[in-house]
Amino acid sequence: MTHVLEDLELYAIGALPEPDAARVAAHLTECPGCRAEARALAAVIDAIPGTLPEREPTPGLGARILTTARADGAATTAPRGIVRGLLTRAGFTFAALGAAVLALAALDLRAVQELQAASAERDAFGETVRQVSQGGRWWYMAGKDDFSDSGGTLIASRATGRAFVLFHDLRPLDGATRYTIWLVNTDGRQWSRVASFPPDGRRFQAVDVGIPLAGYDRCVVSLERSDSGPRLGRIVMESRIFQQ
Amino acid sequence: MSEAPDPPDDALMAALAVRQLAALATLYDRYGRLAYTLAYRIVGEAETAEDVVHDAFLSAWRGAAGYRRDRGTARGWLLSIVHHRAVDLLRRRTAFRPVPLEAAVERPADTDTAVEAERSVERAGVREVLRTLPAAQRRTIELAYFGGYTQSELAALMGVPLGTVKGRMRIGLQKMRRALESTR
Repeated sequence: MTHVLEDLELYAIGALPEPDAARVAAHLTECPGCRAEARALAAVIDAIPGTLPEREPTPGLGARILTTARADGAATTAPRGIVRGLLTRAGFTFAALGAAVLALAALDLRAVQELQAASAERDAFGETVRQVSQGGRWWYMAGKDDFSDSGGTLIASRATGRAFVLFHDLRPLDGATRYTIWLVNTDGRQWSRVASFPPDGRRFQAVDVGIPLAGYDRCVVSLERSDSGPRLGRIVMESRIFQQ
Repeated sequence: MSEAPDPPDDALMAALAVRQLAALATLYDRYGRLAYTLAYRIVGEAETAEDVVHDAFLSAWRGAAGYRRDRGTARGWLLSIVHHRAVDLLRRRTAFRPVPLEAAVERPADTDTAVEAERSVERAGVREVLRTLPAAQRRTIELAYFGGYTQSELAALMGVPLGTVKGRMRIGLQKMRRALESTR
């Protein structure tokens, strides 16, 4: 057996090219000695981030992560009694979303009442959530500035091959203004208009993305007064799209 | 009424594997800032760093069932996901300029626990060793870890043979390892 001790430092830090990294990884599954050394080096590498001066992300990042995770199939939450009482045959419903938020103790009574009222929309929302739970990919767009309470998750459903954006808490707009979804390519020169739509007043609103995401680097939402033509309005949400 | 103690990482990972959303929230509270710090150091932009952290935590959420304690700590597992995603993004960019290693500043711990104190000592030891490494060794580690360069790219970038890259990496990491082990 040829050991890989000479390659372990570069392997641990991620500097080996893929074929060599795969060779080392395969050897580690068979060699306890090299594996122990690799584990010790991994602990050294793990210590590097802790040497950096700490930076604070924006306060909304955590909520953004949890929002996406909630939509990501059957999240389970405590207390069990509430979840058991509200689950439908779909397995994950808006009511379960509400229970998840309750478990995080993040709501006041008014918000709880709003969620209970919104549960009447779960039939329409359930179909959307079923598509979300099929193992597709998604990217969250947080609202900017005075739209910071709004957001949208661009979802590429693996099951249907369909992409759509699931918005939450869209602000009302004046009569002539529309939310407009754009896909933008890497160099920013190609802006493809996907859809222009008014907010429908519901807590959650899904809008189809009728073109493939391949070749685009960002998803942007702006406020426009025209249903066609280039982007003229202000950007209120934006997210990068990480390709496969 | 006294507060329940924070669950250990192993318990969090077990809860994450069965899709407990509260476990994800706790994991983010515990490591979100460090994950963002690492992502920002690599990609150099706040918004992109947040995207990386978002995707990394979602990857952890979906893949928690595959986590194995015998392969490393939950913290290390999570940060390796952040690191891989950030470096992968960096490698796909057309223009990249490596950022010099920043002088580390000691930050007071939010919680005065034995675990935090232990980690602070470890961080101080490793940070001090990094700071005092010869420039060539520090630069090699920095470019590899934060820049995502492969061994041949490092050799070309630094104008040295591959063997020299390996040697600098080994000696530098060995010094860091001794510093880490001396604090345990």
